[in-house]
Amino acid sequence: MYARRLKSYDFGYVLFLLTIAAFTGCGSNSAKSPEANSSTGEGDGHYRIAVIPMATTDIFWTSVQAGAQQASEEAGNVKIYWNGPLTMNDREGQVNIVQNYVTQQVDGLVLAPIDRTALVPYVADAKRAGIPTVVIDSDLDSDENIVSFVATDNYHGGELGARKLAELLGGSGNVILLRYTVGQESAAQREQGFLDTMQKEFPDINILSDDQYSGPTEEDSYNKSMDLLIQFGDRVDGFFVICNRTAAGLLQALEQEGLTEKITLVGFDASPHLIQAIREGKIRAMVMQDPFTIGYLGVKTMLAHLRGEPVKRRVNTGEYVVTRENVDTPEIQRILAPMNK
Amino acid sequence: MGPFLALLCVIAFFAVADRLQADGGRFFSFHNAQNVVVQSATVAVASLGMTVIIISGGIDLSAGTGLGLCAVVLAWFLHKDYPPWMAASAGILTGCLTGLVNGLLVTLLRVVPFIVTLGTMTIFLGLSKLISESITIRPKPDQVPDWMEQLLNPRIANSWMLFPPGVWILLLLAVMVILILQWTVLGRHIKAIGDNEQAARLSGIRISTTRIIVYTMAGFTVGVAGLFLFVRLSSANPTSGTGKELLVIASVIIGGASLNGGRGSIVGTLTGALIMQVISNGCTALRLKDPIQEIIIGTIIVTAVTVDQLRQRGKG
Repeated sequence: MYARRLKSYDFGYVLFLLTIAAFTGCGSNSAKSPEANSSTGEGDGHYRIAVIPMATTDIFWTSVQAGAQQASEEAGNVKIYWNGPLTMNDREGQVNIVQNYVTQQVDGLVLAPIDRTALVPYVADAKRAGIPTVVIDSDLDSDENIVSFVATDNYHGGELGARKLAELLGGSGNVILLRYTVGQESAAQREQGFLDTMQKEFPDINILSDDQYSGPTEEDSYNKSMDLLIQFGDRVDGFFVICNRTAAGLLQALEQEGLTEKITLVGFDASPHLIQAIREGKIRAMVMQDPFTIGYLGVKTMLAHLRGEPVKRRVNTGEYVVTRENVDTPEIQRILAPMNK
Repeated sequence: MGPFLALLCVIAFFAVADRLQADGGRFFSFHNAQNVVVQSATVAVASLGMTVIIISGGIDLSAGTGLGLCAVVLAWFLHKDYPPWMAASAGILTGCLTGLVNGLLVTLLRVVPFIVTLGTMTIFLGLSKLISESITIRPKPDQVPDWMEQLLNPRIANSWMLFPPGVWILLLLAVMVILILQWTVLGRHIKAIGDNEQAARLSGIRISTTRIIVYTMAGFTVGVAGLFLFVRLSSANPTSGTGKELLVIASVIIGGASLNGGRGSIVGTLTGALIMQVISNGCTALRLKDPIQEIIIGTIIVTAVTVDQLRQRGKG
């Protein structure tokens, strides 16, 4: 009986569940609803600000969170809601989170959009609901509905990376740009800055490959790097990668192939693990953003706007080149500090 | 035989195409073979257990997040300075537990495996996030023992081994599963349940007990897969297993198993896992972009299932 009954309902069940899964994204990325707090609002000088990172599982965003927290503690009357998708390619997940906070009627959104186009209509929705948005870290296609854009100059970061890699290679050699994932604006800016600079300023540097993407996770990057090293390992002199997970996967591959001495790796964005590799000389240089300041100024800018003060449309948070020589300087250590907690 | 021929065709195609391109010739090398085998090992080991589940007429959608959970548990133990053997055992034991829970829920609640494991899939992801506090756990280099680092390192120290120890563990497990399926009463019961549950019940097979054993066994392979996932990067991220269940199921299906139960082959499954990895690796060798890889792999899955059905009709 049991078996027969199940067989006949099987297909219906499956369809039903697939439909639910499709709508909820399998429930893996729905926003935690912030606890309702009816007495807070603009009137009594309390603000609820939702800070939405690209991913919660990454050290870079942990630093952004620390900066946002610092800004709220300094202001005293601000509650920060921190929630984002787990991985940096989960567009629907991030859209759901934005929508949930709009429904919750927070006072402001500080958003790092995963996708330059996909999030545009939802930011417009937020504005219609009376909720202003400050975009951090990565730009949107349309800036008409945003208060301000607080970020690294990513294109300039790519330029810095190109110049450093060229300098380390003595101005000539074969290099590979291992890209990140499709559609993310900050990544595309870094890649473009790198390629433009190499073409304009370093005619003797040959780009072996610039059309492969590492994918969003360290494991994806590791697999892709192994494949690339088998193809190009004996010819390539340098790598430029634009994200810390790509760098971590590539570093693992270089170590296993015994190529850390021969191949010059210049990365982008730090983590304690990668800083260790800088000290050991396995990564020769790294362009570094200041994630703490991105979070800090993101919330500060939002607060200024909520209080009716004028804000700049574009706030630059700075970019730096880290090497073994300067890693212990106070300036660099200040940026790294939130990661070591 | 079918999947094996397909593998040979795929290898031959990429070897020729790679040789023909201007600076090719690296695809068909032992170095690359080691690379591909190691890359497919994590999915392959989990697909051993999945094959047994599918032969018994079940399915396990929680295998991906389950193996992610095992990796996270392992990394957590190492990070907290427990000895490596204890961390590895905890990871594998976690795998057995995930399987046991699936098996118990399927039999006690009398809910179809698809739904039970769809639920546990999300539960395991949640547990991973709780344990890891939603960030990557990366034990310090001196907390990760040498044997773990070498387990799936394609550049092995002893060249007479040809492949790193993890690959040999995978093959050993495969042989054990083949022996269980072919030569034990349990193996015959598993096939009988998958073939025709009603008949199996009438002939006195204890269906519930067998099911629980099947899922727990599969959980063990998920635990080993978690160990493999961890050692490749010496770190664990709560999301890193997400989606792997589809690769695992695809390996089993490409390998000639039937989703209706009763039929499946361990050798076929291993071949299926290799086919997918060879395509991915070969596409990089030919500088094809990721979307092309995904389209090719999808096409092969549909082809495999179609061929399977044609074969079934031919028999019927």
